[in-house]
Amino acid sequence: METIIVTGAGSGIGFALTERLLAENFCVSAWDTKEGALQNIQNDALTFHSLDVRDYNGMVDAVADAAAGAQTIAGVATCAAIYRATPFLELTLKDWEEHFSVNLKGTLFACQAVLPRFLEQRSGSIVMFSSSIARRGALNSSAYAATKGGVLGLMRALALDHARAGIRANAISPGIADTPMPRQVMSETDLFERGEDIPLGRIGTPVDMVEAAMFLLSKDASFVTGQDIRVNGGAGLF
Amino acid sequence: MEHEKQNILVTGGGSGIARASAKRMAQSMHVVVADRNAAGAAQTVEEIEAKGGSATAIAVDVSDPDSVQDMCRQITRDVGEIHKAFFAAGIFIRGVVGEIAEEDWDSMMAVHVRGTFLCCQAVLPAMREARRGAIVNMSSDFAVMAVPAAAAYTAAKAAIYSLTKTLALEFAPYGIRINALGPGPIDTPILKSGRTTEEWKAALQSFGENLPVGRVGKPEEVAAVLDFLLSDRSSYMTGQIIHPNGGQLMW
Repeated sequence: METIIVTGAGSGIGFALTERLLAENFCVSAWDTKEGALQNIQNDALTFHSLDVRDYNGMVDAVADAAAGAQTIAGVATCAAIYRATPFLELTLKDWEEHFSVNLKGTLFACQAVLPRFLEQRSGSIVMFSSSIARRGALNSSAYAATKGGVLGLMRALALDHARAGIRANAISPGIADTPMPRQVMSETDLFERGEDIPLGRIGTPVDMVEAAMFLLSKDASFVTGQDIRVNGGAGLF
Repeated sequence: MEHEKQNILVTGGGSGIARASAKRMAQSMHVVVADRNAAGAAQTVEEIEAKGGSATAIAVDVSDPDSVQDMCRQITRDVGEIHKAFFAAGIFIRGVVGEIAEEDWDSMMAVHVRGTFLCCQAVLPAMREARRGAIVNMSSDFAVMAVPAAAAYTAAKAAIYSLTKTLALEFAPYGIRINALGPGPIDTPILKSGRTTEEWKAALQSFGENLPVGRVGKPEEVAAVLDFLLSDRSSYMTGQIIHPNGGQLMW
């Protein structure tokens, strides 16, 4: 059986992706800081690691654990991220650096932890989560926007560095979606009302993003690398 | 209707990426294979039927409004409703800008741009009526990146991408999604056109070496992305261009 590693597997898109992968008979090495986040899922194919993407050594150990049980680690989806809305002039260095260490350095570390295994296999699909905010910006989101732009740069560089080794790297940029993250800054009503301004008439769902991730992880995307797939209902076409 | 399957129209289906796509989509749909080259379309239908699929061949010149109308009448008569479409008819005429003949420029624009426009206009009213549908237009990496001796092609493909985005906005309220494909170098007749066998061998090699992944793509690898874009797996995506390009262009 093939294993997929999912960071940020405890909530939102990462959680939905974990559920889908298990339903499609993948083994999932699910990582999250929230101890017990997946305790309601009873499935032998699921291994939960309570770890922080800032913990490089912990991730190396988790990869070794996943590799021991699986024939192939087919891919990694980096969903772990934090978001705190702060007006630009109130943004502290601590805030800025925390966003960068989780969202960008955490993505780098997770990829670095699994890449030796991918290089050995001469295969592997990396799916990073960026955000439509990387290109379009959002109010009071400068730290988050900068990290998600960074993810796109990291993704492209990684795609180039390891293309000849059969490793693909791509990103997904979700538009506003029905996840815990936007609920930090808006009411339930406001969140769903945002759908009225989106060409396809609704906000995104975790499943919309999961579909794109499943595509990028699959053989259907065998000639797709270095790309950013924008799953945004047609909001902001450029 | 004779069959229960949904129908897809594939233009340019007589060769290359569109043929591979017609074959892929035939796994779940009835395919209308339209091509200016009737023999090529018939060959695709034969290959689909050999695998147990069903398809209808139609000869069409997508740059000619009358021919597109004829195609629509035939579809209405023989097939029925068109649920999905892949507009991929294309030609390639090389030439540096200073030396492009006006008639060559015009035929590039006629097949790619007018052809895509006419075909979209032909199928969209019924899709709007049904309040469902998905279209993918064939663009190219060259819609975005510059390449020498291909100004007519790059301009045509950029126009198709632009048209795709506008159509996506216009038809999103009806639940119709319209996206584009932007392939990189794929082993197809259009890439081979104008090259001798020797030149083609050398070209394949150098295209491959210049790509991050080290090889050109297969038509089936583009067909797989098309399948994603036409399926409910991409139900929240519209107005996008997806590049199966081996990393040739990252933007």
